Amino acid sequence: MTAPALTAGPARRTSTVLVASALVAAGAAALMGGMLAMWLQFRANAPTRVASDGVSLIKDWLKKDVAIPEVASNTMMFTFVIACVMAQWAVYSARRGDKSHTTLALAVTLFTGLAILNAQVALWMQIDIVLRNDAYETMFYTVTGTMFAIVASAMVYSLVAMFRVLAGRTGDHDVLTGHALYWYAVSGMFAAMWFVVYVQK
Amino acid sequence: MVMTATQAQSATGSVAVSTSPLGAVARWVTLADHVRIGMSLALGAALWLAIAAVVGVVLGVERFDVGASVVNADAHIQLFSVHQFALVFGVAAPLMLGIALWSVPSQLHASNISLPRLAAFGWWAWLAGSITVLVSYLGNGGPGGGSERYVETYLLGLGLVMLGLVALAISLATTVLTRRNGLPLSAISLGAFSAVVGALGMVLTLPVAIGTIVYLWVDYTNARVAFGGAGLIDSWLGWTMREPQTLLYVAPALGVLGDAAVRTAKSRQPLRGVMLTAMGIAATVILSSVTQQAHVFTVGTSPSETLASFVPYALFNVVPLLAPVVVILLSLLALKAGTPSLSGAFVAAFLGVGMIFTGLVGSAAMHLDVLDLVGTVFGEAALVYVVYGAVLASIGAVALHAGAVTGKALPDLPVTLLALLGVAATVLASLPHYIAGLLDQPRAAAVGYDDSGIVGIANIATSLGHALMLLVLIAFIGLFVSSRRSAAIADRYRVEASA
Repeated sequence: MTAPALTAGPARRTSTVLVASALVAAGAAALMGGMLAMWLQFRANAPTRVASDGVSLIKDWLKKDVAIPEVASNTMMFTFVIACVMAQWAVYSARRGDKSHTTLALAVTLFTGLAILNAQVALWMQIDIVLRNDAYETMFYTVTGTMFAIVASAMVYSLVAMFRVLAGRTGDHDVLTGHALYWYAVSGMFAAMWFVVYVQK
Repeated sequence: MVMTATQAQSATGSVAVSTSPLGAVARWVTLADHVRIGMSLALGAALWLAIAAVVGVVLGVERFDVGASVVNADAHIQLFSVHQFALVFGVAAPLMLGIALWSVPSQLHASNISLPRLAAFGWWAWLAGSITVLVSYLGNGGPGGGSERYVETYLLGLGLVMLGLVALAISLATTVLTRRNGLPLSAISLGAFSAVVGALGMVLTLPVAIGTIVYLWVDYTNARVAFGGAGLIDSWLGWTMREPQTLLYVAPALGVLGDAAVRTAKSRQPLRGVMLTAMGIAATVILSSVTQQAHVFTVGTSPSETLASFVPYALFNVVPLLAPVVVILLSLLALKAGTPSLSGAFVAAFLGVGMIFTGLVGSAAMHLDVLDLVGTVFGEAALVYVVYGAVLASIGAVALHAGAVTGKALPDLPVTLLALLGVAATVLASLPHYIAGLLDQPRAAAVGYDDSGIVGIANIATSLGHALMLLVLIAFIGLFVSSRRSAAIADRYRVEASA
């Protein structure tokens, strides 16, 4: 006697939160990518002039006497690595049903974001430029300020995810996966900005 | 006790909905279902279409006689700019998104859209932003505006409009990607497929424009050394309101035509894979948009130089043409495969996509250096073709889905007649400017050309075209409202599209 064939179960629905997180991340990446592309265009097209020695050419972009505070910018870059590890730890803990570790991981992610914002503010206070002189200054504050807002949005995501876990919704793995995905994307955006704005200048 | 909530639970457990005017307003303010959001967007777009049509009439009259002046010469730049904004971000983008949000859940057999509150935020952001932009124009703001405060207001409003559209597009794309009831993307309705193509395109391109707006705003409010002030706003953001970027906004029209063909003929699309590929080709516009280049084709002094100019021109101007042309041809093939009959939805969608195609062809021709059309009214005409084509396709979409969404189908004959009138309005509002463009009438200017003879007639003809489109709009709204109040008629499009 043969067993009756089982009918196929309902197809698993793609997670709304995960797809939405990916789309928001894609939009944010397009935003930052566009801004960095304009930065590169402006830098390439910056006018050149003859220096005071009468021989060498100077590009009117970043002034020679302005130093980028590289300790703060590099610290931010490394802090993003910690944020990504913590966000993934939250996913791992949630899958194991460990509420306390999930909460802790999300809290650390949140505070890591806060540390990044703190480092960004410190960098703005250390760098000796104002917003009124040239294209470089305008674009520097605009692109770093936009990145600041994107990191703040990731922190809001961490906060919401943490409150959901604290409220007992530990089974929402998709939210935590979407949260981790967003932090990965934000880290990628910052890495691109870090290389273009702080390393290549 | 005064009831403040819009809903109250009765003793029997049923939910009673407040019928007071305050309750109705509260329900509308807190709307979070696809029908209300979609209809609100369509209504908002209809109001902007009325504004665009009226401004189009004024501009045509203004350009009819270079010597005479209907409006203050200082306001010319604002008038041309508001016309462009109204057509693109007032009509094309919100109308297509609104119709898609309105109809896609019924196409997917879903109860609602995904992320309805995000969509509601998008609607309110678009509404607030578009009103802000309108106010800024009235206060001498906008591109080339003389009032600093209102130029800043314009940038704020434009950013808000784009943010709202991105939120709506995310909600739409998420709906199609997650509420397919297990169907692969290749098996969903053509309308839903084209909607997701357009939505993804907007999600990937409009943030680039938002980034540019942030740069412009910071520069304008501070140093004004990098981006050139109000006079150059259009040079930085103009790509968002020109072809081929506009194809992304109107991409859902392609799916409307595809669905209308198979439902009219009660057939299957014989080459469904090719149809889906053609719709996907519309996404190549993303490449063109984010590079923000004109990609004009110039014949060089050597074959390699000519090829170097032709390849980017063809990629960014000719390839997108394949999307509407293949969809049109395959729709006719679907009709042939079934039992074709007169259908208002098909006629409106077919003519609409045809107009969109004509606009894109015009845009491609404009980028041929040998024709020397850049900077003429030729470009304005191409935009009007695309946007009014999208309006016609939207009429087709409403006729196609009204029965499924509202339970009240629209009568075929009036829709067909309105579609024919609409195509006459579109041609009248656009074709004369193709001719005037070939005769070197400059764009966005009411002086500096010879208005005698055919150019003067062309300008007054465009006025008539815009006025006619306004009549079509009013008549269609009247038809839709009257159909809601009258007895239900048989929905001939109820047969599902082939899977």
